Amino acid sequence: MKEVMLDCYGEACPIPLVKAQNSIKELEVGDMLIVQIDHSCAMKNVPEWARKEGYNVEVEEVDDGEWEVIIEKTK
Amino acid sequence: MAREKVVEHYDVVIIGGGPAGLSAAIYAGRARLKTLLLEKSLIGGLATYTNEIANYPGFPDAPKGEAITNLMKEQAKNMGVDFKLTAVSSVTLEGEEKIVETFRNKYISKVIIIATGGRSRTTGAEREEEFLFDKGISFCATCDAAANTDKHVVVIGSGDAAIEEGMFLAKFARQITVSVMHDEGIMDCNEIAKQAALAHPKMKFVWNSVVKRFEGDDYLKTVVLKNIKTGEEIPVDCDNCFEFIGYLPNSELFETQLPLTKHKYITVNEKKETGIEGVFAIGDVTDKWLKQIATAVGDGAIAGTAAERYIAEKEIFDEKIMQKEKTGLIYVYNAIDPESRNFLTEIEAIEKSNCGSLVVNRIDTYKSNGLALKLGLEKLPAAVITKEGKITEKIYDLSTALISSKL
Repeated sequence: MKEVMLDCYGEACPIPLVKAQNSIKELEVGDMLIVQIDHSCAMKNVPEWARKEGYNVEVEEVDDGEWEVIIEKTK
Repeated sequence: MAREKVVEHYDVVIIGGGPAGLSAAIYAGRARLKTLLLEKSLIGGLATYTNEIANYPGFPDAPKGEAITNLMKEQAKNMGVDFKLTAVSSVTLEGEEKIVETFRNKYISKVIIIATGGRSRTTGAEREEEFLFDKGISFCATCDAAANTDKHVVVIGSGDAAIEEGMFLAKFARQITVSVMHDEGIMDCNEIAKQAALAHPKMKFVWNSVVKRFEGDDYLKTVVLKNIKTGEEIPVDCDNCFEFIGYLPNSELFETQLPLTKHKYITVNEKKETGIEGVFAIGDVTDKWLKQIATAVGDGAIAGTAAERYIAEKEIFDEKIMQKEKTGLIYVYNAIDPESRNFLTEIEAIEKSNCGSLVVNRIDTYKSNGLALKLGLEKLPAAVITKEGKITEKIYDLSTALISSKL
């Protein structure tokens, strides 16, 4: 199981979402994708998309207005 | 492979980080309760989808919703509230230890406050997502009416909300075009609203229509309606579109454990209690009349305070009234009943004659009958005898001899 960091700092919607969608395709089941974001709009669509896909999702607020969306590819 | 979930204990777990949940967190945190707030995406809830909030008292410059909710978050953090950004996968509400599970954690809590909010139902028409919220499609006339002064507005729906909100919008807008899916003259709203709307000079109706498509560049320009009988497309150029085709509370997680209204809202009483002890519900997920930030924070204040009282009362009950060290006698009465009052002297005599081997508690139900309910009494006054912290006898026909014989 590997962990992949995806740096989306400074990027506004919908770039973080598109990047996350592309990155997860490259991963195996059981791998983790960690999307780093600092635009709050991405906090609305990235976790929502990942949950709709059926992945496990948890978010860490690493600093004020900076988040890591941790996505476990479950299928 | 299933990992072992990390177990953590809290006094209060709040599910949902919108204004209601944040307000409950501030009150619970200030009462020094160990409090956790769970939010599945961005702290602030639906309020963060609004670019201007002009009617929340104390903020005359109409800030973004997120600016207000970020301040609430900061305030809750200052009160020592823990935040965790994750979705709840299951809850167990019954029992003294309530359980909230996420995919990595299991939280055990004395109190759960449900503040999961809701979402507006959308039409599902083509390109709708591009214009949602602040790009031309709105769901709240109270919020956005003033911004539509002298504009042309399309309203979707014909229920009470659609027509009443449409009439409100008509005070500001130049013209309102209402899309109704029924035949001419048939609407879902009440008769009074219907007559007023039909007679209103600014209201125009497009019967037998639903939304087919939304069009525009960065902002909504045209709502393309479709006649459901003929299939004909009817483009309507407008400044904004309001959808009032229902609201969906986020109550799915609780459906099997809590009573819901037929529209799936959680019913609560004045203290925001749900009917399951220690479980409160607040904000848009509850059956309430006005859904606004101002009313959500009021709900949160009530639930935060009620949670504190509930925990304090429960501690007194568990540690003092249901003590395990000695045989206990609990006398439950209402002080406004003279006979019940008189029997207090008998209770005192029993206490004295047992010289210290008996713990006597007197519960006056005049102010709060919470403790009496916990004892499961059928009527008052009553005497309850406990041994090693367990109820062994409930006596309703009060006499000194009978009570003494059971001790």
